[in-house]
Amino acid sequence: MISNRLEKGGRIDRTQPLTFYFNGKRYKAYAGDTLASALLDNGVSIVGRSFKLHRPRGIVGSGAEEPNAILQIGTGASTLPNQRATQVELYDGLSARTVKGWPNVNFDIAEVNDVFSRLFGAGFYYKTFMRPRALWHYYERFIRRAAGLGESPMEPDPDFYEHRNAHCDVLVAGAGPAGLMAALAAARSGAEVIIADEQSEFGGQLLSSNESIDKRSATDWLGDIVQQLAALDNVTLLPKSTVFGYFDQNFLTIAERCSDHLGEHQPDRVRQRQWRVRARQVVLAQGAFERPLAFCNNDRPGVMMASAVSTYVNRYAVLPGQRVVVFTNNDSAYQTAIDLQRAGATVAAIVDSRAKGAAALGVAAEDAGITIMRGHIVCDVVGRKCVRCVRIAKWSGDNSSTVDASITIDCDLLAMSGGWSPAVHLHSQAGGKNEWSDDLHCFIPGETRQACRSAGAGNGLWSLQECLQSGLDAGVDAAHQCGLKPADLTVPTVGAIDTNKLEPLWRVPAVKDPDQCPKQFLDFQNDTSVSDVRLAVREGFQSVEHVKRYTALGFGTDQGKLGNINGMAALAECLGESIPNVGTTTFRPAYTPVTFGVCAGEGVGDLYDPMRKTAIHEWHESINAPFENVGQWLRPWYFPGDGEDMHAAVARECLAVRNSVGIMDASTLGKIDVQGADAVKFLDRIYTHNVSKMKVGRCAYGIMLGEDGMVMDDGVMARLGEHHFYLTTTTGGAAHVLSWLESWLQTEWPELDVYLTSLTDHYSTIAVVGPNSRQVLKNVGCDIDLERESFPFMSVKDAELDGVSVQLFRVSFSGELAFEVNVDSRYALHVWTLLMEAGGEFEITPYGTETMHVLRAEKGFVILGQDTDGSVSPVDLGMNWLLSKDKDFLGLRSLSRPDCLRSDRKQLVGLRSIDNHSVLQEGAQLITDPEAATPVPMCGHVTSAYHSACLGYPVAMGLVAGGRARMGETIFSSSSDGSVVPVEIVSAVFYDPKGERQNV
Amino acid sequence: MSDSAKLRHGLEPFLSSRTDQSGSGEGISIEVQTDLGHINLRGDAANSEFLAAVATALQQELPVAANTMTSGDHRVFWLGPNEWQIVTAADNTARLLAGLREALTDVHASMCDLSGGQVALRVTGSGVRQVLAKGCTLDLSPAKFAVGACAQSGLAKAGMLIGCIDDAGPVFEIIVRRSFADYVARWLHHAAAL
Repeated sequence: MISNRLEKGGRIDRTQPLTFYFNGKRYKAYAGDTLASALLDNGVSIVGRSFKLHRPRGIVGSGAEEPNAILQIGTGASTLPNQRATQVELYDGLSARTVKGWPNVNFDIAEVNDVFSRLFGAGFYYKTFMRPRALWHYYERFIRRAAGLGESPMEPDPDFYEHRNAHCDVLVAGAGPAGLMAALAAARSGAEVIIADEQSEFGGQLLSSNESIDKRSATDWLGDIVQQLAALDNVTLLPKSTVFGYFDQNFLTIAERCSDHLGEHQPDRVRQRQWRVRARQVVLAQGAFERPLAFCNNDRPGVMMASAVSTYVNRYAVLPGQRVVVFTNNDSAYQTAIDLQRAGATVAAIVDSRAKGAAALGVAAEDAGITIMRGHIVCDVVGRKCVRCVRIAKWSGDNSSTVDASITIDCDLLAMSGGWSPAVHLHSQAGGKNEWSDDLHCFIPGETRQACRSAGAGNGLWSLQECLQSGLDAGVDAAHQCGLKPADLTVPTVGAIDTNKLEPLWRVPAVKDPDQCPKQFLDFQNDTSVSDVRLAVREGFQSVEHVKRYTALGFGTDQGKLGNINGMAALAECLGESIPNVGTTTFRPAYTPVTFGVCAGEGVGDLYDPMRKTAIHEWHESINAPFENVGQWLRPWYFPGDGEDMHAAVARECLAVRNSVGIMDASTLGKIDVQGADAVKFLDRIYTHNVSKMKVGRCAYGIMLGEDGMVMDDGVMARLGEHHFYLTTTTGGAAHVLSWLESWLQTEWPELDVYLTSLTDHYSTIAVVGPNSRQVLKNVGCDIDLERESFPFMSVKDAELDGVSVQLFRVSFSGELAFEVNVDSRYALHVWTLLMEAGGEFEITPYGTETMHVLRAEKGFVILGQDTDGSVSPVDLGMNWLLSKDKDFLGLRSLSRPDCLRSDRKQLVGLRSIDNHSVLQEGAQLITDPEAATPVPMCGHVTSAYHSACLGYPVAMGLVAGGRARMGETIFSSSSDGSVVPVEIVSAVFYDPKGERQNV
Repeated sequence: MSDSAKLRHGLEPFLSSRTDQSGSGEGISIEVQTDLGHINLRGDAANSEFLAAVATALQQELPVAANTMTSGDHRVFWLGPNEWQIVTAADNTARLLAGLREALTDVHASMCDLSGGQVALRVTGSGVRQVLAKGCTLDLSPAKFAVGACAQSGLAKAGMLIGCIDDAGPVFEIIVRRSFADYVARWLHHAAAL
């Protein structure tokens, strides 16, 4: 078995060997490994196939930037797709697999795409699968499968997730040298500090550094400072936590991986947590990403980022290659060569594009016996599944020429460095600008819009000394901005070393011109190469946002963390522009992908949304009534008897109400108390009817209009006193109506003396409905005279039922004699039970929302939101009688708009099936001529349709263009299955058109 | 039937479904307060006549500073510049309401009995702040939300009125609409269990 593990060193725990599985094969590694370091230890070189060309790909990086090692972790319900192996902490038994490559990742039949790669240029899919358009859905299935971007589990997630809101003075994103110093400075100044870092332990670059700080090793210094922070109780340390979003008002979101490192499914533990932090000040210390170099076949397994190689050697004690070439345009990669040499690898050469090479590190490398080829470039890689050798050319610095690759060096690892780009992601998400540095050749954070500052490598400071200093300064500044007196801290000292400047090398010249040479990849994950960008420009794309979408540059799970700047440089070269003129694409949350669990938190299953329950809910539940969601409320839908289906239950309930007595829980109605000397004046402006004419103790059906004149809400309202009203609203409209009324009072009519209070939850409402309803109330010992003479239809009285105070309304939503009982919700179940007992002799029948709908439809009563849709005026509904001519009210003026006066507006009518048995489909389109050629002109739609048990035929309502003038006309209801039902336009009042039954 | 058997706060099914009968988790205990009455009072805090009349009726000052509450015979929560919630003993509610009505006959004000629509929970324990932080965006730390502080806010996806009753414990009173009480209780139970 291969092992690339060094005999000593690294931060792994050799006393804790672990076993893991990759594509079903068993491997060994240690605690402290990431999946990537474990795979490299075991010599696994191919970890994926590329998106489009299916080229074999290996591990490139060591962190969030990794574009290739994107694996499926775990199995079954708790599996996670699209995980970067470089960020997956190893646990015993971990199982990982590739999602690309068929039949397997080592032999992928679709690699044939690579042979024809010239066909698969930018926009290939757009161009090829455009026609015929109807077939796209067919193509799409295969394209998606071939792309293979992970699989989501099909089962419910068995794990727990949670949210945690937090507030702090200073949030530090990133716990490298700069972040740690910032946190310490802020915390010592007395600030409440949260410091988060995405890695398993704090330290950032220090975890793989051989440098010394204050004459101690970097790791000793690191251990000490972390200990100091942990000892402070004003500091919250969040390792394994990615700050993934930066929103307005310094609101940041952090994804903490709480138990992922312990194993796949941890019962009774939170797996991941979303911190939602409001920070007064923010320090961004996310570090920088090393840039690849764009030479031919730079994507071959065995070509890695130089800093990643150092990380694997120093932090994980894994040697990713035995014979190495280092290719760079800056000094930092020399350290990698030295690290490799020290770890026992052979460094065949450092190939430096710069004529003068590196400064101090150049001397150190030469002292270590490493060959330095200054003024040379690696222009091609030989080897398909692994690096076999590299082709090197002498180069004078002329970008436009081709070169003669006359030197070949055998190697199994090529470590590359094209310089560094600060991770400006969070700064940009926060609305900050980025500035191009002509000195550093990268974007650095510019002006910020929020209370934040960037420090360390994330601010373009490369040396450890500068990082520590800028971290300290940032922490002091943040504390100062919080009004705290900054602590007196001195920055640790690190020996400064001379460096030579980076010389940009955005595209490495090849033996052929850039459109003819082998692919020079910019974005490994999306197979975007230099030639693709050039093609996009030739085809007319210029904006970086357009080129991104045409070439897929910067898409995918890594969002261009490695390739974007190189891509922009390639675009700039092609357009003859400068890089800052080309600009960057937009940085959006999330910084790295987060799971749906982190987004959802506890809000899953029956905690997904509040389920509002009435005070009588448990009674409904006890007899197994099915519930219907109405807004957030759960309302009983119908009450099935033994063996009854919904149809039978509803028919029985309807007949019981019409013939004897039914009882319904109407508690979900919105209820608003209105008090004040100006209550009448106020309500007259809100409602269309004449409120001032209402007598105390009387009720009225009222509608309120929006400013557009359309019906907004409706309900019964009652006058309880001279200056005291009680309004009901629709169940779903309650909250909106209250805030609508409040907004008029607070912003437009503050001079009115009116106060509003919601009574929705205080009162439960029980409707007792049917010819025997009066007798039922008498049976419970109602203490008031219920006869018509003293308690007529549309009036309200206080009463007592068996000693419980109630408000009794004589109102009806069914057309029957009916009473609505408003009772303090604490007594609602008691009163309901009393009424059920008292109604026993009449076989009182509980009924639900479905029967309520049928009963009201038989009477032509509308339900707002079902028979209306926000574009229906009261005139359309035939409610002219409700529009007072004596006063002004909201929406009145809109009713005289020409559009509201059109005679062909859709109007509410009844629809009766000619065949006397077809129940229409709600939502079905109404047409005049079923034989008409498509597109068939439509004249309206069905809004309500039911079978009426007491009439013996179906009833329906609909909105029909000019409908009221078309009574008796036959039109057609066109169902979704294509069938057509002839219907007659009739009055919407099917039952008791004179309204005699409710007025007894 | 006794009066207490007729009276229901609505969380009986939730409580009977929990084995520990308390809906409590580690470091937190949750208790339903059953003997309370709730009155919503509206009036103008800038009107000294109103303030004086209310103070007489309540025998207690109305809190006029934003997001504060006063405790005496009753707990009075500031809800807005012209709105308060008075929490008192259940059997005292009608008398208090009548007293307010009488005292405010000639003042622009309104008062409503909301007792049927409110469920008050008393949550205590060392883990309370951490549990509440899972669903409440307010900073409830002792420095920012001490005894006498109150706020209308959200808990998970429900609205709540929260007040800090005692720093020792600490003790918070959470008042939610009755129809949301079951959701809030289940959410608290879940949040406290992890």
